[in-house]
Amino acid sequence: MSVTAPSAPALARGVDVDPVDAGPPPPVPPLLPSPKRWQPPWRNPWRRPWILESFTWLYLIWSLAPIAVAVLFSFNNGKSQSAWQGFSIRWYWGDPINSIFHNPTLRSAVEQTLRLSVFTTVIAVPIGVAFAIGIHRWHTRTSASFNFVMVFSYVIPELIFGVAMFFLFTQLFTFIRLGTVAEVLGLVTWNFSWPAIIVLARLVSIGRSYEEAAADLGASRLQAIRRVLIPMLMPAIFASAVLVFASVVDDFVVVDLLSSTANTQPMSVIIYANTHGGNGGPALNALATMMLLFSFVVVIAGLVAYRWMTRGERGSSRHDAMTSIAGM
Amino acid sequence: MTREDRMRKWADRDQKRWVWVAFAMPGIIWLTILFIVPFYAVLAIAGGKLNQIFESPIPVWNPLNWTAASFTAVFHDFVGQSAFVGPIFVRTLIYVAIASVLSLVIAYPAAYFVTRFAGRRKVFFLALLIAPFWISYMMRMLAWIDLLQTDGYVNRALVDVHLIGQPVDWLGGKSMTVILGLVYGYIPYLILVLYAGLDRIDQRLLEAGRDLGLNRIRTFVRITLPLSRQTILTGMLITVLPMVGDYFTNQMLSGSESTSMIGNVIDSQLNTASQQSQGAALSLLLLVFLLAPMLYYVFQTHRASKEAF
Amino acid sequence: MIGLTSHPREGWSDDGPRRSQTLSRRSFLAAAAATGLGAGLAACGKSGGAASSTSTTAALTTPVDLPRPDSPVTWPIYSSNKAIASGLEPEKNATLKIYNWVAYVNQKDLDAFGKKYKCKVELTTFNTMTEAIAKLRSGQFNFDVFVPTVDVLGQLVSAKIIRPLNHTYIPNISQAWPQYTSPFYDQSWQYTVPYTIYTTGIAWRKDHVDEDPDTMANAWAMPWQAKYKGKVAILDDYRESMALGLMKNGILDLNTSNTAQLQAATNSLLQLDKLVNLHIDNNDYSNVPSGQIWIHHAWSGDMAAAANYMPKGTPVDVVGYWFPSNGKGPVGNDTLTVLSGGNNPVLAHLFLNYMLDLPNALENVSYNGYMQPLNGITPQVLVSEGILPPSLTSTVVLPSYFDNGLRELELAPTVDAEWEQSWLRVSGGV
Repeated sequence: MSVTAPSAPALARGVDVDPVDAGPPPPVPPLLPSPKRWQPPWRNPWRRPWILESFTWLYLIWSLAPIAVAVLFSFNNGKSQSAWQGFSIRWYWGDPINSIFHNPTLRSAVEQTLRLSVFTTVIAVPIGVAFAIGIHRWHTRTSASFNFVMVFSYVIPELIFGVAMFFLFTQLFTFIRLGTVAEVLGLVTWNFSWPAIIVLARLVSIGRSYEEAAADLGASRLQAIRRVLIPMLMPAIFASAVLVFASVVDDFVVVDLLSSTANTQPMSVIIYANTHGGNGGPALNALATMMLLFSFVVVIAGLVAYRWMTRGERGSSRHDAMTSIAGM
Repeated sequence: MTREDRMRKWADRDQKRWVWVAFAMPGIIWLTILFIVPFYAVLAIAGGKLNQIFESPIPVWNPLNWTAASFTAVFHDFVGQSAFVGPIFVRTLIYVAIASVLSLVIAYPAAYFVTRFAGRRKVFFLALLIAPFWISYMMRMLAWIDLLQTDGYVNRALVDVHLIGQPVDWLGGKSMTVILGLVYGYIPYLILVLYAGLDRIDQRLLEAGRDLGLNRIRTFVRITLPLSRQTILTGMLITVLPMVGDYFTNQMLSGSESTSMIGNVIDSQLNTASQQSQGAALSLLLLVFLLAPMLYYVFQTHRASKEAF
Repeated sequence: MIGLTSHPREGWSDDGPRRSQTLSRRSFLAAAAATGLGAGLAACGKSGGAASSTSTTAALTTPVDLPRPDSPVTWPIYSSNKAIASGLEPEKNATLKIYNWVAYVNQKDLDAFGKKYKCKVELTTFNTMTEAIAKLRSGQFNFDVFVPTVDVLGQLVSAKIIRPLNHTYIPNISQAWPQYTSPFYDQSWQYTVPYTIYTTGIAWRKDHVDEDPDTMANAWAMPWQAKYKGKVAILDDYRESMALGLMKNGILDLNTSNTAQLQAATNSLLQLDKLVNLHIDNNDYSNVPSGQIWIHHAWSGDMAAAANYMPKGTPVDVVGYWFPSNGKGPVGNDTLTVLSGGNNPVLAHLFLNYMLDLPNALENVSYNGYMQPLNGITPQVLVSEGILPPSLTSTVVLPSYFDNGLRELELAPTVDAEWEQSWLRVSGGV
C-alpha cells in the first residue's frame, strides 16, 4: 500500500484526508509475494454494503413516501382523501366553506398553533438556559436534585404529565382555566428540558477556561457571562429554540387535555378530532402540510443560523449543525 | 475528591454563589410549581373523596385524610367481577413490546449503515433519517389513514398484485394496523438515539478488529454490538415509555374497542366527571409501574453528566 | 353536568357535524369547572336534597323535581318572575336574539320572521347544553329565545332563567299535538312549547342486510349477528347505547338504576363487540348512505337527511330506518322557551308562535331534518313536499310515540356514575 494514498477505511468514513504531496514515492520492493488466489466477492472487506444500503433506502421510502402522498392529497380537487381527483388549491384558499383561509375553525387552529409555539419558545428557552447555567455552576445536592427533576420531566410519558396538568388547572389553580394560558404553561414545562439539556451539554464541553480568562482580564462575573459565555452558547440556545418550536407545533397530548373551546385548539387537535369523527377531507391534509411547512421553515432557518454562528469554530460542519438541531 | 476538586471548591468558596442560584431560580420555581405540585394534585384527587351530589372529584389536600376509594375502584377494574382493564393493560404491553422490537430491528441497520458506510453522503442520509422527527405525528398518522382507506392506495396495490382478493378494512380495528402505527410513529426518536450512539463509536476500534482478522459480521457482533448496548437500552426506553401512554394512535388508526390501550381508558376517565378520580389513580399506578425504567434512564443521564462536570 | 340526556346536536361544531364525543365532553368539563358548575342540583330531589357546600354559583339549593312520564311536574311560577302582560305591542327596532344548537334552525325562517315583524334576528349557537346553561347562568347575556332539552327545565325554572309564557301570544299551539298543552315535563305548558321531536332507532342497508326488522320479534337484537362482522355500529353516547343494551334484553326502563339490568346490558354489548367487531361512532348520517356500515344504531333526523349523503348512483331507498311500531323506543324532544334576561319578550313570544305555524315548521324541517310535532306534519305531507323520501317515512315521529315512547331522562348522580362506568367497560375508553 502506498504511504501517501489515504487509507480505504478513512475514505469510507468520509473524512477528507489531504494527500501529502512529496513528489513521486520511492519504489519499495515487495517484501512478500502477493497472493493471487481468487477470493469470493463476499469475502472482500471493502465491498459496498449493498444489503444494508438497500435496506436503508427501503426504510427511507417507507418512512417518507406516505407523507409525500398526504401532502399530495392536500391538493386534491375532490373531497376524497384516498382517490386522486385532480389538482387544486381549494383546501388552502379557494373553497368558500372548508378551506383553511375561509373556515374560521381551521384558521383559528393555525393561529393557535403559531401562538402557542411562539409563546412557549420565548418563555421556555430563556428559563431553560438560565437553569442550565445556574445548575452547572452551583454544585450542591439541591442543584443536582433539581437537575434530576428536570430530566425526569423529559422522560415521563406525556399522558401522565398531561393528566397532572389537567388536574392542576381544574382543581388547584382554577383561576387559570383550561385554555391558551394553561396550554402555554403546560407546554413550557413539557419542553423546558430541551434547552436545559442541550445547553448543559454545551456548557460541559466549553468548560470554565474562557470565563476565567475574562476574569483575569478584569470582567466581573456577570460581565463574563454576558459577553463571553452567552455568545459561545448561542448556537446551542438557537438549536434548542428550534427544537422547542418544532416540538410545540407537533404536540398533541398536552394541548388536547388543556384546551377548552374551538378557538383554543391548535392544528394537531383539530386534525385528531376531525379524523376520529370521520369528517376528514383534504382540508386536514392541508392543515397538516402547513404544520410541516412551519416546522421546516424554522428548522432550515435554524440550520442556516447555526452554521453561520459556528462558522469560525473548529470542526463545525453541516453534520454537526444537523445533529445539534436534532438535539443529539 | 481529587486535588482538582479540592482546589476548585476552595476557589469557589470565595465567590458568591448567589449568581448561579439566581440563574437557576426561575427554572427551579417553575419546575416546582408546574411539575412537582401537579403530581401532588393528582395524588390529592386520587386519594380524595367523591362529591356525593355531583359525583365529581373533590381534592383532599391533607395527606392524613386521603382515602383509598379511587384506588379500590381501580383495583376492581382490574380484578373481580366487573374487571375489564386487565386485558387492556396486557394488550398495551404486548403492542408496545412488539412495536419496540420491530422498531429496533428496523432502525438499527439503517442507523448503522448511515454512521458507518454512508461516506460522503452521510449528511444527506442523516437529513432524510431525521426529517420525520420534525414532521408532526398527526401528519404521519394522517398519511397512513389516507393510504389505508378501503379505496386507498395500499388496498389498490395489494389487489393489483393479487396478494389479496378483496380490499381489506385496515382501519376497522386491526391490531396489526395499530402496531405498525406505533412503529411508524416512534421510530424517528429511536433512530436519533441510535445514530448518536453509533456515531460515537470510535472507528479505530472497528479498524483494529478488522486488522485482527474479524470479518464484517464478526466485527459487528464482537465490537459494535457490545459498545452500543447502552445506546440500545437508552433508545428503547425513549421509545417504550411514550408508547405505553399512547392513546391517539389507536383512536386514529382503529377506533375500535378491541384494540384499545390503557391510555384510552385514562383519557376516557378524564372526560367523565364521575370517573376523574379513578383516572387519576390509574395514571398514578401507571407511573409507579414505569418508575423503574424512568429512574434508570434518569440515573444514567445524571451519571453521564456528572462525569462531565 | 351529570346525567344530561343526549341530543342529536350535542357536540356539533360550528362548521358542521359532530366532532369526537370526547372533545365536546372536554369542553363541557371546562365550562363546568369555569363557572363552578356541577350544579345538576335537580337531582337533589332524589338523593335527599343535600345542599351543595362547594358550589360557588347562584344557589340552586331547593330540591327540584325530576319529571317522568308517570310523574308529571307542574313548575312553580315565582312572583318575581311572572309572565308578561297581554296585549302588548311587539318591540320596535329590536334585535331578537335566538340561542340555539348549531345548525338547528333554518335561516330562512329567521329572515322571514324578521321581515314580518320588522326586527333584526340574531342567531347565536352553542355546542353543548352545559356550555349553554353556563353562559345563561352567568347573567352576562341577554338572549331572548332558548332551545333547552327537557331534562334541564328544572334548573332553568328554579334559577328563574326562563319566563313563564303568556298563552295569548301563542295561538298556534293549537297546531301542535294536543299532548303538548300539558306534557309531563311542563303541565299546562307554563314555560315551554315544543320544538323538535326525534327518535332513536336502527338504520340499515336493505341491499346488504337480509333481515327486515319489522318482521323480527325483537328488532333491537338485529345488530347481534356475526355475519355482519365489521359492518355494525352503535352510537357513541353512553345513554343511547346502554339503552340499546337494555332494550335488547327486553328492559324498557331507560332510566333504570337496577344493577343487574345494567350488567345484562353491558354483557350484551360486550358480546356484540366480540360478535361483530363493533364500531362506535356518531356518523350514522354518512356511514350508512356510503355503505361503510350496514346496521347502525341511529337518530331519526340524521337518517331523514340520508338523501344528501348517498353516493352517486345509489338510490336513497336502500336505506331503511326502523323504530318500533308500538312506539316503545327512545323518544326525545326539545322545547322553545323565552328567557327572562331578554329585552324583547313580546317578540320572543311571537317567535314561538311563528315556529308553531305549519309552513314555517315545514321550512325548518326541510333544513335540519328533525321534525316538529305539529298536526299538519305527517309522513304523507313530508313526502309530498319533497322533504322526505318515501322509503324513510319511518323517521317521522307519530303522536302515539309521544305517549308510549321511552324517555331517557336525568339520572341521580350515583346511578349516572354506574351508567358511565358500564359504558367505559363496553367502549374500553375508545
